[in-house]
Amino acid sequence: MTIDGNKIIHAVMEGSQIRESKGIIPLFGVYLSIFPINYYNKLSYEFEKMLKERQSEAETLLVRAAQECGYATFQGVRNSWEWEEIVKPMIDRKEDQIEGFSAVAFAFGWGDLKVKKLVPEETLVIQASGSYEASGYLDQYGKAPSGKCYMLRGVTGALMDLLYGEDYPEGCFTFSAEEHLCRAKGDEYCEFVARKSSD
Amino acid sequence: MRPLNWQKELGREGHRVKFSGQPVAMHCHHYHINLQKTLEETLGKQGIRLLYQSAEEAIFENFTNILRQYKSIKTEKSKFEMAALVFQNSGMGIIRLQEVGPEGGLFMSPSNHHVTGWLAKHGMRDTPGCHFVRGWIAGILEAIYDRPLGYYAVEERQCKMMRKKECVFVVKVR
Repeated sequence: MTIDGNKIIHAVMEGSQIRESKGIIPLFGVYLSIFPINYYNKLSYEFEKMLKERQSEAETLLVRAAQECGYATFQGVRNSWEWEEIVKPMIDRKEDQIEGFSAVAFAFGWGDLKVKKLVPEETLVIQASGSYEASGYLDQYGKAPSGKCYMLRGVTGALMDLLYGEDYPEGCFTFSAEEHLCRAKGDEYCEFVARKSSD
Repeated sequence: MRPLNWQKELGREGHRVKFSGQPVAMHCHHYHINLQKTLEETLGKQGIRLLYQSAEEAIFENFTNILRQYKSIKTEKSKFEMAALVFQNSGMGIIRLQEVGPEGGLFMSPSNHHVTGWLAKHGMRDTPGCHFVRGWIAGILEAIYDRPLGYYAVEERQCKMMRKKECVFVVKVR
């Protein structure tokens, strides 16, 4: 069965209207919140600027922060009652989970993620033409010399970790993703490719 | 006060989520706390300042825009009520104010997203950790009193991440 993203969007938009007494939004197994995207973009790219010559270290740290987050987040998501009731009935085989995760990320406003290729245990290719990271970088800093979607890059690796890594919580960073194409550097879309980590 | 119509304000344009016409994203405590820890560990005080300033700037822009749209909200009291409502509806938690004016004041948060997230992931800490909320308070005050960014300094005197009863924030003019 194909994953119906609209059902997931509906669940997220409805669910995000519910707050418990402490002002927290418990949804899809995580504590959700709604922040302006400028917050994330300023944090990431100013952090990178502040590290100056250690820029690649900043990139690694931001991708790792996102990958660890994606790993924990989607583990929560797939163990939630919302997943059980809304997404699971649309899943026929293990690999369909990736489509389900992408649909949740889409619903969260992370970008229009499309799974372009999935080779079980080996490779995942995800494309996005509306990543808020790429748009934010272009708006604030102009054309980038390299890929700037650190959050989506980390999340792409995390999705493979969850499917093909060791059981949670041991499998994080089994895979790692690269972003060779990015709208921030002038490409038509952003593309993330996750493969087994070399170390 | 015209109540905030959350259902109307929170909407979508395709894959984009917008609140009051401005782009937002839904993220969970794992991401926020990981970013905070990364910045604190890598840059120390500079990282803390960046967390604070990023929140201050984003919230200032966001709330200024909300106030422009809800022109019927005129009194300070109504504006602060609106801010607290946005804080709660965005899943940031609960925030209350006490004796707040153009020269500063006191805010209290008995519960917030970052506290819940930090305690769930890392347990108690030795220093106050609600840098986002400090920046949020500064941005809100600067929007309400039409002051420039950086006008207010917000200090967290007491933090639930240190197992205090509630978070207490003191605001002063720099």
